[in-house]
Amino acid sequence: MPDIGVALSTIASGVLLGGILALTALGLSIVLGVMRLVNLAHGEFLVLGAYAGLFFLQFTGVDPLLGLPVIALLLAAFAIPLYRWLLQPLADRGPEAQMMTMFAVSIILQNLFVLAFSADTRSIARDYAALPLTLGPITVPLIYLIGFAISVIAILIVNWVVSSTAFGRDLRASAADAEAAATMGVDVKSVRMLTFALGVACAGMGGALIGAAFQFGPSSGGAYLLNSLAVVVLGGLGNVLGTLAGGLVLGALQSLGGLTLGDGYRDLVGMALFLAVLAFRPDGFLARGRP
Amino acid sequence: MRHPTKTCLAAAIAAASFGLSQAHADEIVIGASLPLSGPLAGFGSFQQWGYKRAVDEVNKAGGISVGGKKEMVKLIIRDDKTDPNATAANTETLISRDHVVAMLGSCTPALVNAGALVAERAKKPLVTGCDPLEAFKSVRKWKWVWDIFFDEPDLASVELKAVADLGAKTNMKIALWHDNGPDGQVVGGQIWPNVAKQFGYEVVQNAEFPVDNTQFTSIIGEAKSKEAEVVLVDAITPQAVAIRKQMAASGYTPKVLNIEKGAEPVQFAEALGKLADGVLVGGYWDPSFPYPGAADLAKAFESETKLSSSQHIADSYAAAQVLLDGIAAAGSTDPEKINAALAKTDKTYVVGPVKFDENHTAKLPVVSLQWQGGKTVVVWPKSAKTGDLLFPVP
Repeated sequence: MPDIGVALSTIASGVLLGGILALTALGLSIVLGVMRLVNLAHGEFLVLGAYAGLFFLQFTGVDPLLGLPVIALLLAAFAIPLYRWLLQPLADRGPEAQMMTMFAVSIILQNLFVLAFSADTRSIARDYAALPLTLGPITVPLIYLIGFAISVIAILIVNWVVSSTAFGRDLRASAADAEAAATMGVDVKSVRMLTFALGVACAGMGGALIGAAFQFGPSSGGAYLLNSLAVVVLGGLGNVLGTLAGGLVLGALQSLGGLTLGDGYRDLVGMALFLAVLAFRPDGFLARGRP
Repeated sequence: MRHPTKTCLAAAIAAASFGLSQAHADEIVIGASLPLSGPLAGFGSFQQWGYKRAVDEVNKAGGISVGGKKEMVKLIIRDDKTDPNATAANTETLISRDHVVAMLGSCTPALVNAGALVAERAKKPLVTGCDPLEAFKSVRKWKWVWDIFFDEPDLASVELKAVADLGAKTNMKIALWHDNGPDGQVVGGQIWPNVAKQFGYEVVQNAEFPVDNTQFTSIIGEAKSKEAEVVLVDAITPQAVAIRKQMAASGYTPKVLNIEKGAEPVQFAEALGKLADGVLVGGYWDPSFPYPGAADLAKAFESETKLSSSQHIADSYAAAQVLLDGIAAAGSTDPEKINAALAKTDKTYVVGPVKFDENHTAKLPVVSLQWQGGKTVVVWPKSAKTGDLLFPVP
């Protein structure tokens, strides 16, 4: 039986980590909800965000967490031509064509990362990323708390954009019924392009957080894609607040799995939960409908 | 009738393919599959440099005499992406398409052994470093594959010997963390518990995790709660970086921290900065070693690449030299003659004396290295040391 302090610390760390996982999954969820596209390059966009954070720090000396809006804008600017030239021409060819295109993009990006940055393991070295935060018997990594706070703020902002702005209204209309939205005058093509850019921007911010909290390399994206898929399924496709809840639940359950079975079984617990939700509540345990 | 342009194109492609797959008659083709991408790319880049340097030196000296005629050596390197299946496939390709006469190994038992089994089946000589000897010997009785590296029991005991000999005092509680790869299971699962007991330690934790694990909070929390002042870790570089970072973020700093495998390449220290200071790693080579060309090899690497050198440049360079010397001694590209010549290897290389035993292994002596200010220093044995032990871990 683990020590009570270890147990509480592990669960608290798991919940905070879940908040970060939610931000890493948010972009995937929005793109899936609106465009019906399983973005198989999502993990590579996360890694791109991590590299962007690393080089942002190296070239400007500014902390990458302060530079998150800039990183988000850079990633969005990268995503727009990608959508315009690669995905938009395939919009009428069914979901498989776009999905396979993104699979190809993921492989190309992995190789470009190796060519441009070498295959070395990297980490954004910040003093706060190596500091503990102790409250009574509970000790959690300070970076988890910082990441959690940033994730919650970012998710609330995105939720506000989706639920309370004109763009959000068009986005929700396009997600519910693209044809009807187009008939009512919504520029579905532009909405999808901006949604894709928003999704990639969120991935970029999540990646920068991951880069500061953990380590990354050209091939790190695959593991984060799997976790993000689990969060999306738990929270419901395109459900922004559901994604936050999904992340928290996944983080907490993975930490419980790590505590009881060993750290090596975290992903097993996460994937078992993913399959269970897919089987019994395929719209997510919170979802009542799409945005 | 077939369109003439298409016919020409087909002929050109066929000719190009033929050209790509055929070695020139006047060159000796050797090959290697290396992890140039994926988690072990940190090792592969150093090995690639070592292999290429040995071949370049031979070619600059006029090549190797085969059948009374000097021939240049061509080295073909294929990326195995840190995937044993890709190593096996690359080795097949090197043999069947590239027509290599002999090969050099990849890195870590999982990759080296995957390629070695293909070489063994095809009866092509393969010389490797980067494969700890017990893991290498456990696969089979080798006839065509030769391994120059350290022996796990030596490496597994070096840090505890160093700590005892240098008088570093701890509470004698030790935690052992290791991945579930072949060498992780041998070192962490079998050898370390016994060695720890021999040195009088109480093993308060022995935790195993998958090779691709990223979260270690439970393992770290348990070791902290059990007050282990000595932690031995066997993990590849991404995990090693994650573990060190998460230890610091959990407020856990043991007095002695040894991370085998993952703390070897310089990218470990680059990713961690100050957090790398004090981490011990077993080493089999340092530029300060009294072997011919040791200091020059590190200088050459650093001036060419502008990077800090790694011990992996030495075992790869030596493995390639051993193979090239074997081909020269055979005076032939016949695999059987090369293999017979390799068996007679008895010479001092940049890593020390190399002479293969009946298991096809040549054992390298092991020292204790410690990261200090972004570089490794030899802290034990005293006869070889280049710096003092940083104790406890800052």
